Amino acid sequence: MRVLHINRYHYIAALLGVLLVLATSLIATAASDVNAFVRIEGSTAFHSVLQASQPVQIKSFWLQQHPVTNAEYLVFVKAHPQWRRDNVAAVFAGHGYLAHWQSSTETGPGASAQHPVTQVSWFAAQAYCESIDARLPTWYEWELVAAASETAKDARNDAAWRQRILDWYAKPGNTALDNVMQNPANNYGVHDMHGLIWEWVLDFNSLIDSTQTQNLCGGGALTLQQKENFAILMHVAMLSSLHGSDTTRTLGFRCARDMSP
Amino acid sequence: MKKSLSFIFACLLLFTTATQADSGNSIYLAHIPLLTQHNKPAALDMYRGHPVLISMFYGSCPDVCPLLIMGMQGYERQLDATSQKNLRTLVVSFDAARDTPAQLQAIATMHHTDGRYWMFASADEINARTLAALLGIQYRHKPDGTFDHSVLITLLDSDGKIIASTSKLNGDGAFIAALRKATASHPANSSEMYSSPP
Repeated sequence: MRVLHINRYHYIAALLGVLLVLATSLIATAASDVNAFVRIEGSTAFHSVLQASQPVQIKSFWLQQHPVTNAEYLVFVKAHPQWRRDNVAAVFAGHGYLAHWQSSTETGPGASAQHPVTQVSWFAAQAYCESIDARLPTWYEWELVAAASETAKDARNDAAWRQRILDWYAKPGNTALDNVMQNPANNYGVHDMHGLIWEWVLDFNSLIDSTQTQNLCGGGALTLQQKENFAILMHVAMLSSLHGSDTTRTLGFRCARDMSP
Repeated sequence: MKKSLSFIFACLLLFTTATQADSGNSIYLAHIPLLTQHNKPAALDMYRGHPVLISMFYGSCPDVCPLLIMGMQGYERQLDATSQKNLRTLVVSFDAARDTPAQLQAIATMHHTDGRYWMFASADEINARTLAALLGIQYRHKPDGTFDHSVLITLLDSDGKIIASTSKLNGDGAFIAALRKATASHPANSSEMYSSPP
C-alpha cells in the first residue's frame, strides 16, 4: 500500500494556494462593490449655464462612477458615529437626515443597499467624501460631466437627449428610487448624472438665489444662459434655495478628487 | 422615594438632552482653521466665551465690503462701553489667495479696528465654503477675480450658536436689541453677582 506522504512543503504550498484563491476572490468582491473614481478630462472650452461671456477652466479630476449608495453610507456612519442620525449635531443636519432608514445603524426596507443615499445634508456629504480622501465635485465639474450623453461629451444641443432628461423630471416626486447603475454610462463612463437623484456640489452656495439680489456685493444674481437646457437650470435653482443642513428625499451626492500633481 | 428618584432622573435626562440639543447648534462644532492678520493660525472658536459678530468678505471688494466693516463698527457703537468690551468681532475672507495676513492687517489699520476686540482672518477654499454654509452666506468667484456675495452680519452667543443675523448694514432694530441683550448677559459681567457683600 502506498502511503501518501505529505511533507511540510506540500502543506505550505497548499496553504499558499488556498490563500491565493481567497485573496483573489476578496479583491474581486471589493472591485465590484467599490464606487470607482473615473478620470475626467478637464476643459478650457466648456460653456457653463452660469457663465455666458467666456468658457470656464476645469482641471482634470476624478469623479465617482455612481452616486454614493445607502450601503456605502452605512459603512461611513458605523465608522464615524457622530454622523449617525441619533448623534448628528443639529447645525450639520436637519430632522429629515436619514429619516427613511430603519434605525441609526440599519438601512432597512425603506432604503435598499444599492439605492443612492438621500436625505443627507451638505455637511454630511462633504464629511463622507473627506473620509475617503475626496471632496464633493464643484458645480462646474458636475455640470461638465452632466453634459455628456452615452455617445458625446457635450450633448447639450441634442434635442432628443434633452427631452429624455426632461421626461425624468416630469415624473412625480413620490416615485421610489432605483438602484444605481441601472442605466448606461455616459461618454465619460459615469452613471446616473440624470434620471435618479439631484446631487450636492461643493460650492452649492455659489449658486446665488435671485431673491438675494438686494443684499449682494457685486454684479448680482446669476444670469442663466442656455434657456433650453432646462434640466440643468432646475438643478441650479434647487441647489441655490438650500441651506447646508437641509435634506430632501431626492438629494444625494457623489465624491470627486483632484488629480495628483 | 423610588418614585421621586426616578422623577429626578427623568428631569436630569431631559436636561441633558436639552443641553445636548442646544450645543448641537454651535457652529464651533465645525473645525475651521483660520489664518489671522497677524499671520498666526487660529480656529473658528478663537473667541469662544464671548458673544461674537461674524461676517465674510473679500478685501479687494471695491464697494460694499468697506461698508460691511463700517456697518459692523456701527452696530458695535450701539453698545455701552462695558458691553463693547464683552463683544468680539471676526471678519473672515473667502479670498485667501489675495487676502494675505499683510493685506488683512492693512484693512484693519485702514478701518481703525480695535485689535483687542477685532480680528480679520482668511480661510482656504473648502473651509470658507463650510463657514459660508454654516452662516448661510452665498458667494461666487467671478472670472474677473471679483466675487458676488451676499452681505450678512451674524451674532453668535458665547458658545457659537447663531442668535440673530441681519443683511442691513445699519439700523436693524431687532438685531441691535439682540446684540445688546447678548453682550449685557455675558458671563464676564455675572461674576459681580457672586461677589460677597462688603
